[in-house]
Amino acid sequence: MPQLLTVRVKRPDGRPIRIWVPVLPVVLVFSPVVVLAVLVAAVACLAYRVSVMRALGTGWRIVSALPGTRVDLEQGRTAVLLTIR
Amino acid sequence: MNEQRKHILDMLAEGKITAQEAEQLIAALERDQPPAASSLDARPKGKAKYLRVVVDALENGEPGRINVRVPLQLLRAGVQLAALIPAQALGKANAELNKSGVPIDLTQLKPEQLEALVEHLDELTVEVDQPDAKVRVFCE
Repeated sequence: MPQLLTVRVKRPDGRPIRIWVPVLPVVLVFSPVVVLAVLVAAVACLAYRVSVMRALGTGWRIVSALPGTRVDLEQGRTAVLLTIR
Repeated sequence: MNEQRKHILDMLAEGKITAQEAEQLIAALERDQPPAASSLDARPKGKAKYLRVVVDALENGEPGRINVRVPLQLLRAGVQLAALIPAQALGKANAELNKSGVPIDLTQLKPEQLEALVEHLDELTVEVDQPDAKVRVFCE
């Protein structure tokens, strides 16, 4: 499961902004929203006759596979870097 | 079985050399052979962990760069997600693809085939060179 999300933005004036997001505490804070989202997803699965357990399992596999993802965009003097650890 | 090893076993069968001598000769033969790792077929599968997409482009006179690294595990999980797409959604997607002149039947695309595709991605390298842009897709 992802532990840390890092966002680094380099503005045109050269000043960088760095944001570290610890995933677990944020998920805990937003846990009511997460539970609601899971319920909505389960209802959608039932409506479209998709196995709820299979869908949840696949969703979990996707979240678990996220660490190591890195997106780095640079355009002129502006840059955005997103890493998931 | 290679020719030299067969020759040693023939000599052993004819009684020209003892079993111990044959063993020593075969051991010497194996030492002289190049390591099997140098062959591409012997490369352990699943060695590559990430899919990289690197784009270097010049836009409005400014250099731009896109560097994306995606774990192959994420692609495998995505393939499983694709298997959950309802049949009616695939039908609609097929109709839209046909309308756009891309006659691909997505219902014929099986998860096992996609899985096999992801498994062999580590052998893939795509390089596109243009005067104002360079795209590289590879696994590492």
